[in-house]
Amino acid sequence: MIIIMKPSATSAEVDSVVHRIRDLGQDVHLSAGEARTIIGILGDTQRLNRNSFEVMAGVEQAMRVSQPFKVASREFQATDTVIDVRGVKIGGEHFVVMAGPCSVESRSQLLETAHAVKEAGAHILRGGAFKPRSSPYSFQGLGEEGLEYLVEAREQTGLPIITEVLGASEVPLVAQYTDILQIGARNMQNYRLLQAVGKTDTPVFLKRGMSSTLQDLLMAAEYILASGNYNVILCERGIRTFTRFTRNTFDINAIPALKQLTHLPVIADPSHGTGKWDLVAAVAKAGLIAGADGLMIEVHPHPAEAWSDGAQSLKPQRFAELMRDLRALAPLAHRLL
Amino acid sequence: MIIVMKTNSTAAEIGAVIARVQDIGASPHPIYGAERTVVAVVGETRAFDPTAFKQMPGVERITSISAPFKLASRESHPDNTIIQLNGVRIGGPEIVIIAGPCSVESRSQLLETAHAVKEAGAHILRGGAFKPRSSPYSFQGLGLKGLEILAEAREIYGLHIVTEVMNSQAVPMVAEYADILQIGARNMQNYGLLHAVGRVQRPVLLKRGMMSSMEELLMSAEYILAGGNYKVMLCERGIRSFEKYTRNTFDLNAVPVLKQLSHLPVIADPSHATGRWDVVPAMARAAIAAGADGLMIEVHPHPSRALSDGPQSLKPQVFAELMQQLKRVAAAVDRTLELPTPILQGDDQ
Repeated sequence: MIIIMKPSATSAEVDSVVHRIRDLGQDVHLSAGEARTIIGILGDTQRLNRNSFEVMAGVEQAMRVSQPFKVASREFQATDTVIDVRGVKIGGEHFVVMAGPCSVESRSQLLETAHAVKEAGAHILRGGAFKPRSSPYSFQGLGEEGLEYLVEAREQTGLPIITEVLGASEVPLVAQYTDILQIGARNMQNYRLLQAVGKTDTPVFLKRGMSSTLQDLLMAAEYILASGNYNVILCERGIRTFTRFTRNTFDINAIPALKQLTHLPVIADPSHGTGKWDLVAAVAKAGLIAGADGLMIEVHPHPAEAWSDGAQSLKPQRFAELMRDLRALAPLAHRLL
Repeated sequence: MIIVMKTNSTAAEIGAVIARVQDIGASPHPIYGAERTVVAVVGETRAFDPTAFKQMPGVERITSISAPFKLASRESHPDNTIIQLNGVRIGGPEIVIIAGPCSVESRSQLLETAHAVKEAGAHILRGGAFKPRSSPYSFQGLGLKGLEILAEAREIYGLHIVTEVMNSQAVPMVAEYADILQIGARNMQNYGLLHAVGRVQRPVLLKRGMMSSMEELLMSAEYILAGGNYKVMLCERGIRSFEKYTRNTFDLNAVPVLKQLSHLPVIADPSHATGRWDVVPAMARAAIAAGADGLMIEVHPHPSRALSDGPQSLKPQVFAELMQQLKRVAAAVDRTLELPTPILQGDDQ
């Protein structure tokens, strides 16, 4: 941590900051410049509170030098984390495609979609059984019945499954069925939930909150990692901006930036990132080229009749066309698909 | 400026950064931590682009520690700037009220509005003659004819006038008519225009761009100040956010923050900040309570027939009632707002 003193700070004020740091058991490095004095605190400063220095007389600013996320950082682990889900590899040179409906609506809807995405080449089946909807009056998902259909679809197609868990108390139930636990964007900073999934050994798919910075996302991942679960997958799904044409603004910068900052796999979700099915393919391809480790795409056999997210769901045939395009592009991004 | 080195930076990379800092005439103060090295740069570094250090091997990021604006900063000028117009002071203990229509639409519309806002106690008349509209097909303003109508209203009612100037070539012409030159939000970073108004001796009302940070606003003010014109007032008029219910999101924080960072007068524009006449009075009162030196409020005698900004324009009677409320709020925060003896409103509503 670096403490920048005001140009007007007196030597007594500098001394009292130095004493305070030494009292806390840390070493001090003092740079007394002509204009102002800068104090460096050496050693591990994770536990120090920045604000407690900023309120001291003569202090202009206290700033952290090291990243607040540790286990998630590239510095902690230089090589990519590769997560194995029933033989499907996520991370490294592999490119993984997760596809399926927004919600599990019925047994037939899910099985029809599962067979279609399997045939097109998807690796993992998605489907929501517990749905976080902005209105309490909207369809909230089929619950455990939905989880049973997902398991049946896995048995029929061999595709591992991913589904969202909404509350800490439901983690054991959902983990019993699913291969990957999804934390939705609205729950990215639900710390009790993060700790609860951190105590399981099921891989966790963590979606970026709609107004979260990359650091916020990595700190949320850090909660899971710090609880002992090292199988975390990050997902960029668009952030909120002023533009109204698309549901969200897909932050493509996040993909190479996250790959630089962390060793965890990064998945792009162009369905939520755009909210419009006719933009999904373009953004999906851009996500691959930008360096994403995979995609999550909403597919529905009859989008017009979908109970949720119909506007952003691809029909199975369009999804199959997209998969062909992705296979052609993958070598350019040095990926196996 | 602080240069944070990567954890894996080499001694040679750190040495190169230190040498480069010395080259630009500043003194480097390396701090060798357990995990990484930080180089604190002390001395005058404003003339150098700090981002150039980011290109050097081993550098992770750069953080600046002193504010990049000088003339606009409180540090350089601890006392409030007070802009004197004949009989009106902006930035002193008195609250200044700027009111009038969005656009000058006709002689009768402007004179009717000027009469009403004068009676309610406004000090300065606003009205656009050159209008920056998002569509090229919308009403673009009356131009020179609008300026002449504004000058006539000044003659009749004794109000000062503020009107927008959209490009640098028009500055001499608009300055001939206006008492205050307004730079609109869309032009806040039109540097050619800022240079041009910096060279005239007319006060400038600089509106914050809809996606501009306070630092960017102050840097734009710095352009005008550096040109030699010290009569600059800042205007918070709402920023763009994801919220759709209001036209903009009024950044009330900006009022006390700008007063802290700068000595320049701060004016709030609750009309653009909300875009809805029914929330304008509440935000106007809040701005005065937060420490604004004045307000800019859109008033139109017949908002439903306005050629622009009708939904956010107050009717004269609503404006007159608001002025009475503002007087009380001003007194509560140790400011003054003198109003003329109340006159019974006619049946124009």
